[in-house]
Amino acid sequence: MIRLGSLPFLLCAAAILHASPAAAQSSASRPFRFEAGIGVSWMGREPIGTRTATETTGAGGTSPLFNTSSELGSAAGFDGRLGVRLSRSLVAEAEAAYLKPQLRIAVSADAEGAAAVTASETIQQFTIGGNIRWMLPGRRWSPRLAPFALGGGGYLRQLHDQATLLETGRFYQLGAGVETLLAPGGRFHTRGVGARADVRAVIRSKGITFDGGSKASPAVGVSAFVRF
Amino acid sequence: MTRRLACLVAAALTLGQPAPALAYLKFGVPVGGQQVTLKWARTPVRYFVSTASVPGVTSTDFQGAVARAFATWQAVPTASITYQFAGVTAASPGSDDGSSVLGFQNRPDLDRVLASTSFLVDSATGALIESDIFFNAAFPWSVAAAGDSGRYDLESIALHEIGHFSGLSHSALGETELLSTGGRRVLSAEAVMFPIAFAPGSISARTLKADDIAGISDLYPAGDFTSDGSLSGRVTKDGQPIFGAHVVAFNPATGAMVGGFSLNAQGQFSIGGLSPGPHVVRVEPLDDVDIGSFFDASQNVDIDFGVAFLDRIVVVPKGGDSGEVAVAVVRK
Repeated sequence: MIRLGSLPFLLCAAAILHASPAAAQSSASRPFRFEAGIGVSWMGREPIGTRTATETTGAGGTSPLFNTSSELGSAAGFDGRLGVRLSRSLVAEAEAAYLKPQLRIAVSADAEGAAAVTASETIQQFTIGGNIRWMLPGRRWSPRLAPFALGGGGYLRQLHDQATLLETGRFYQLGAGVETLLAPGGRFHTRGVGARADVRAVIRSKGITFDGGSKASPAVGVSAFVRF
Repeated sequence: MTRRLACLVAAALTLGQPAPALAYLKFGVPVGGQQVTLKWARTPVRYFVSTASVPGVTSTDFQGAVARAFATWQAVPTASITYQFAGVTAASPGSDDGSSVLGFQNRPDLDRVLASTSFLVDSATGALIESDIFFNAAFPWSVAAAGDSGRYDLESIALHEIGHFSGLSHSALGETELLSTGGRRVLSAEAVMFPIAFAPGSISARTLKADDIAGISDLYPAGDFTSDGSLSGRVTKDGQPIFGAHVVAFNPATGAMVGGFSLNAQGQFSIGGLSPGPHVVRVEPLDDVDIGSFFDASQNVDIDFGVAFLDRIVVVPKGGDSGEVAVAVVRK
């Protein structure tokens, strides 16, 4: 279930789908073969489950001892991409990203009156995966901005700060964004240098979760790229 | 040279000092100035069942109930201990004949003791020679599948005593309330090895909990127990280490709770048998039970502090230890 992540994506997608037919050719869509990018990204918080510590009663029921509510906090990190142009409007991308979110467990309602606390620990999250980026045809909001939609997924590895393996999993993402060429190419066989911004809904399967379900969170990224 | 030691359900006599290697309370015996963990050197451990019966429980019923309890412990996949029924005997529990015997004995003088486990130990080597369990015939007993109101469930009590028989001491994972009679009533427990039994009619203690499983697996490790991790550290109050603090590791992914104690002058504890992953650490004073059910009276157990949670998550690695965790508690 997508909650936080779906709104910006849907707004962006709706705007794109209602765009009028094409007018000018964006400088961002000039022919290229390869693209390399590096940037920063931010991922929103993910609730990862609630659990009550219970003890068994004589009648066979349970008696709560305390409650826990857990989340992976929002975090900023770095990512890098390599892309290859498949056609005029499709680009295949390989991407890797690194984040250091905080795992937080809020403990409350202790049966013996212990003060509520939020215990935390920083973890590292590595992802590696691929996307298909579709350069959307049609009129741009600006002649310099080229909108795109993307979808993909990959492998995720979450490690404790001391590099102790915690969990592995998969992620899937859908998103949209815009890119623009900031400078023409020419030097070092480049075909331009540009910037890109995107917003994504990321759905994580497995990895750190205390209730077993898939988790969704929003993510945004800003990056610079160079084309060859 | 042998020595007989005893452990009672309601008024426990603690054997020597708890073994400090890991924090489940295990029985230990002093040998040559050192504590030796009390455990069976060879398995299957053979046991006899006495022919004594009580109203509502025939000898055959008794044999069946204790067999189920032994089977429950033996079914723990991460523990290697096994048991073998050796036959019925006219002998009573407590006779130093080298045979482990379980049976009823009428002890109305022990009016707060449902059952008791005793050991015969070679005091020169610490080797466990024999362990007997007596069930107090002065109480009403039942082997009814769904329990019997007003009667204590024999299988539940046998499961607890067989934990002792195997070398486990008590767990403090439970809550009680004081009664006007001076005793305590169990409100809830999350370990079969909690020292006070549920009220008559309850069959809740027929099932081992995570704490029991971790304890028996620590004593007799098998299978993939070694891939479980441990959590260790020390408990301090006003900057000074405290002894006897009850430390509980809670796994928010599984809901499992495993407890231990700070067991030495440095306030150190170590809890093994934990599933790898994040854990919440809770520390509480040992104030829900009689301290004598856990520790020797000569040991200075500190209960003058409030329940507290560690403000960081402890990640237990697979097959390793968390590294030392420092927990500071505050005077009440």
